[in-house]
Amino acid sequence: MSEDALDPVIHAPARLRLMVTLAALPDGDTLSFTRLQDMIRLTPGNLITHLRKLEGAGYVQTDKTGSGVNAVTSVALTRDGRTALDRYTTALRQLLDAVEPAGQQD
Amino acid sequence: MREVGGTAVDQDGRATDEDGTAMDEEPDEATRMDVRDAAAIMREAGEHARLELTVNRPAIFMSWSLVYLLGYGLMWLSVRDQHPYTAPQGWAIALLVVLAAMALAVTAALTDRATSGVGGTSAMRRRVYWLSLAVGLIGVYIMQPMLSHAGASRDVIGVFSASSPLLIAGVVLVAGTAAWLNWYAFGLGVWLIAVAACSGFAGPVGVWAVIGLAVGVPFLAMGVVSLARGRR
Repeated sequence: MSEDALDPVIHAPARLRLMVTLAALPDGDTLSFTRLQDMIRLTPGNLITHLRKLEGAGYVQTDKTGSGVNAVTSVALTRDGRTALDRYTTALRQLLDAVEPAGQQD
Repeated sequence: MREVGGTAVDQDGRATDEDGTAMDEEPDEATRMDVRDAAAIMREAGEHARLELTVNRPAIFMSWSLVYLLGYGLMWLSVRDQHPYTAPQGWAIALLVVLAAMALAVTAALTDRATSGVGGTSAMRRRVYWLSLAVGLIGVYIMQPMLSHAGASRDVIGVFSASSPLLIAGVVLVAGTAAWLNWYAFGLGVWLIAVAACSGFAGPVGVWAVIGLAVGVPFLAMGVVSLARGRR
């Protein structure tokens, strides 16, 4: 198995952090754009770029409520996104097993 | 030009500054990441998210342990020499109210810090949970003058005023398990109900000491143990 087995949409540092952070929420929960930005420590531009990529793959869903200064954008992991992250985690574990002798992983 | 999360973005979805100039973007495809890096990022991001999104329970347990150990303790001190029992003294009631208000403020601040920006099902459950508790407590405080009006003795009013808020808190915690599936909260709720139900046997004076110790000590222990384990 090679790194090609890892989903390229997720296998980027910022998007991986985004996916893991959103996966920490229970099913049915959303996180506001500003809180997510605060937690991931990305500029708004970078965050939007990565969210658009994840949204394009169907892994996250964004919803905007209100308008003007009261506008709030919420972000949530979709069911497909959660499944994709599970698949990514499994593939990553198998790759780690292959590169690290048993018992040396932390 | 449109807005996402209060930030102006151009047609390509890039964030723009006041002049409409596209802001920076990370060329993440060019950022190589091997499997060890990915595993480290997952661990770090998962732990960071857990810390950020979890309410700091040790501080909440400890603040409520103060309410029961100190507040209920002072109530007991204010009534222990009353023969026959009349009612807790004003200064003790005032201190208990202040301590409870402080614990409530700590609980609200820490909960708000962890759940700020979190919406959806959990936010709705939280609102229903707090509303249930508030409605229940308002109900028991309305009942007290009703009981008095119906001819209940001072002893009965004394036992009721000490134990009924605990009964409501216990029932709300137990019922909340249906939504949260948190068995620690269920166990705590059952304990609160048991203490509220049995403490009345100590009478209108002893009930304050029994509840103060039976609830305050476990709360303090849970706070210390959670803190020692580094758990939130």
